[in-house]
Amino acid sequence: MKQNSMLAMILAGGRGSRLHDLTNKVAKPAVSYGGKYRIVDFPLSNCANSGVNVVGVLTQYESIQLNSYVAAGGRWGLDAKDSGVYVLPPREKADENLNVYRGTADAISQNIDFIDKFDPEYVLVLSGDHIYKMNYDEMLAAHKAANADATIAVIEVPMKEASRFGIMNTDETGRIVEFEEKPEHPKSNLASMGIYIFTWKLLRKMLMADIKNPDSNHDFGKDIIPTMLNDNKTLYAYKFKGYWKDVGTIDSLWEANMDLLSSKNELDLGDPAWKIYTEDVTALPQYISAEADVKDAYITQGCVVAGEVKHSVLFTGVKIGAGAKVIDSVLMPGAIVEEGAVVQRTLVADGIRIGKGAVVGSADSEHIELVAKRVKGAE
Amino acid sequence: MYKAFGIVNSSGRNIYVDGMQDYRPIGAFSFLGRYRVIDFPISNMTNSNIDRIQVYINNKPRSVVEHVGTGRHYNINSKSGKLQLLFSEHNNDNDIYNTDISCYMDNMESLSRMTHPYVVIAPNYMVYSIDFNQFIHTHIDSGADVTLLYHSVDNAREAYLTCNVLELNRQKGVESIGPNHGNKKNQNIYMDTCIMKTELFISLVKEAKKLSSMYTLTDILNDKCETLDIRGVAHKGYFASITDFPSYYAANMDLLDYEAAQELFHENWPIYTRTNDSCPTQYFDTAEVKNSVISNGCRIEGTVENSVIGRGCVIKKGAVVKNSVVLAEVTIGEDVHVENEVVDKWARLIHKKEIVSPADQPGYIRRNDTL
Repeated sequence: MKQNSMLAMILAGGRGSRLHDLTNKVAKPAVSYGGKYRIVDFPLSNCANSGVNVVGVLTQYESIQLNSYVAAGGRWGLDAKDSGVYVLPPREKADENLNVYRGTADAISQNIDFIDKFDPEYVLVLSGDHIYKMNYDEMLAAHKAANADATIAVIEVPMKEASRFGIMNTDETGRIVEFEEKPEHPKSNLASMGIYIFTWKLLRKMLMADIKNPDSNHDFGKDIIPTMLNDNKTLYAYKFKGYWKDVGTIDSLWEANMDLLSSKNELDLGDPAWKIYTEDVTALPQYISAEADVKDAYITQGCVVAGEVKHSVLFTGVKIGAGAKVIDSVLMPGAIVEEGAVVQRTLVADGIRIGKGAVVGSADSEHIELVAKRVKGAE
Repeated sequence: MYKAFGIVNSSGRNIYVDGMQDYRPIGAFSFLGRYRVIDFPISNMTNSNIDRIQVYINNKPRSVVEHVGTGRHYNINSKSGKLQLLFSEHNNDNDIYNTDISCYMDNMESLSRMTHPYVVIAPNYMVYSIDFNQFIHTHIDSGADVTLLYHSVDNAREAYLTCNVLELNRQKGVESIGPNHGNKKNQNIYMDTCIMKTELFISLVKEAKKLSSMYTLTDILNDKCETLDIRGVAHKGYFASITDFPSYYAANMDLLDYEAAQELFHENWPIYTRTNDSCPTQYFDTAEVKNSVISNGCRIEGTVENSVIGRGCVIKKGAVVKNSVVLAEVTIGEDVHVENEVVDKWARLIHKKEIVSPADQPGYIRRNDTL
């Protein structure tokens, strides 16, 4: 495939500390989702499907697993000539000491040399921790048609929730006239999705200035976008319709998994025209035993189910023993629920074992229980 | 360099799986939902550090070529290793000429370039796990000229009827190799898997060609039982020979037994296949699934019992699938009852509501067919 003129940079350095123990050893983009995926598979697959062939992944927090995961660009088909996934952790340079990335914009600034090597016309900046399917090529076409300096993807949110988001106020042509971060009295319901297309020449200039500004937070939302608006640059909003989720908490990660169970699920991971690619595991197909009872569930390869599974998502290699009950729960890769155990409204972390007859979570809990340590059962 | 290179061979004219084989060679048959039969011999080789592999294809190459490709997904070292697809150059109208020997002769140039001292040959139509490292060592240590792999069975009267059997003496020396006539229940089924020096293999191929245009490698080995030191090694564990329609159906059904499956799929012995990037399978509120192997990408609203379901199948509300092997991308419509059938890829069973074959005589639904 011929390379287009746009290079993507995925911001994947964040910890996602509200995910508690799930992100103790991995960054949020590497967290498992939807049975067989990791969250970062979404922006990477979107890039591959949109014909964006060069992708830089900016990593920082607990990056060992994430670095090796994304470096295998072949998983997303990003391994042809003139194509590739580049892992970009902070690095020491000839004329500078090792600096951590101080903000989202700084992460890009510190890799200007990397971007320059490819000499792209446009740079697409993405978050590594959002779940959605989007054609960036269509967004680029809108950016070009509007002759914009920057285009920001926005999604309509319910007005009463708008004060939780960065809100874009636009004129009737879609040009952004004002940006308000978490406004108390929002004037519109167009929330920024943290997806930006910049004309690289201009962004480069702005980053060079930003890096020297001692008062800057080096952040796209707080610094770069407001400065561009002040300078009267042309910024356009690009309206996205469809499923989009920023999973910040255990409750919202659980909910995003549960969304897959709905028959009206907009994410539609089964659409052959826009596949989400991920690591190829060599697990067997799933086995549902004679005594199992599986209803309203999303189950992937490697699972062995001998118990009851209702309204739940089972990730790769999960084992459910005979007589066990798993209800309203999300079981991450390799989790084991032994005979007779009961798991309700719970998110079980990778490789955790719930012992025989143990009971975790409860049907009427306000929040989803996170189990990240082995639960002993009757021995 | 490793001691042996591998050959994965296609089936000869004595073997034909009705229905399925009209569309593809046995190696490309779907197996247990997500695999193809050829994944087993190739994975056995790569797991045994054999990373130069020649795959021979007699006819209908498309699906094997698509599936095997460069072999990268079999975990072959991409620099020092290599998987070659080699084709029969002459597709003779008269099938008696389409032998493995003729295919080897057509590719003699590629064969004679192999510098490995030994060659391991395995068929693309049998399913088993084996550590070839051990097999190679046993062969070298014994000092034999050729070592053949066999599996002892007690149902040779009604099964394995297109396989060959070994007559062994007490020292496990092979006295003869010949067809299973179904007249004895205990037999040593030849797994069409053997090891010998590359040099000996090439000379046997050339000799067979000279002797008769119909000769196979097995024929010439049988001739040589008296003059060469040919020995048998027994294989233990799961073994299926996909050499006729009943055996294809039975092999899939046998693996519904979780214990039997453990004998084939060992830890640290991954069976590789080409990924299809299907999403997980969705079970709806009305789903009733018992004792079944289900691949990814399915949407199940109906009942599935004692069945193997391939990737991306849709089982609608009220549908019942029992004792069946359903290949990928099949749709079973509302209230359609399917029992004792092998349903080939892309079939749509939607209009007729009863598609049932007798339990002892499973039926076959053609690829891409609408019923």
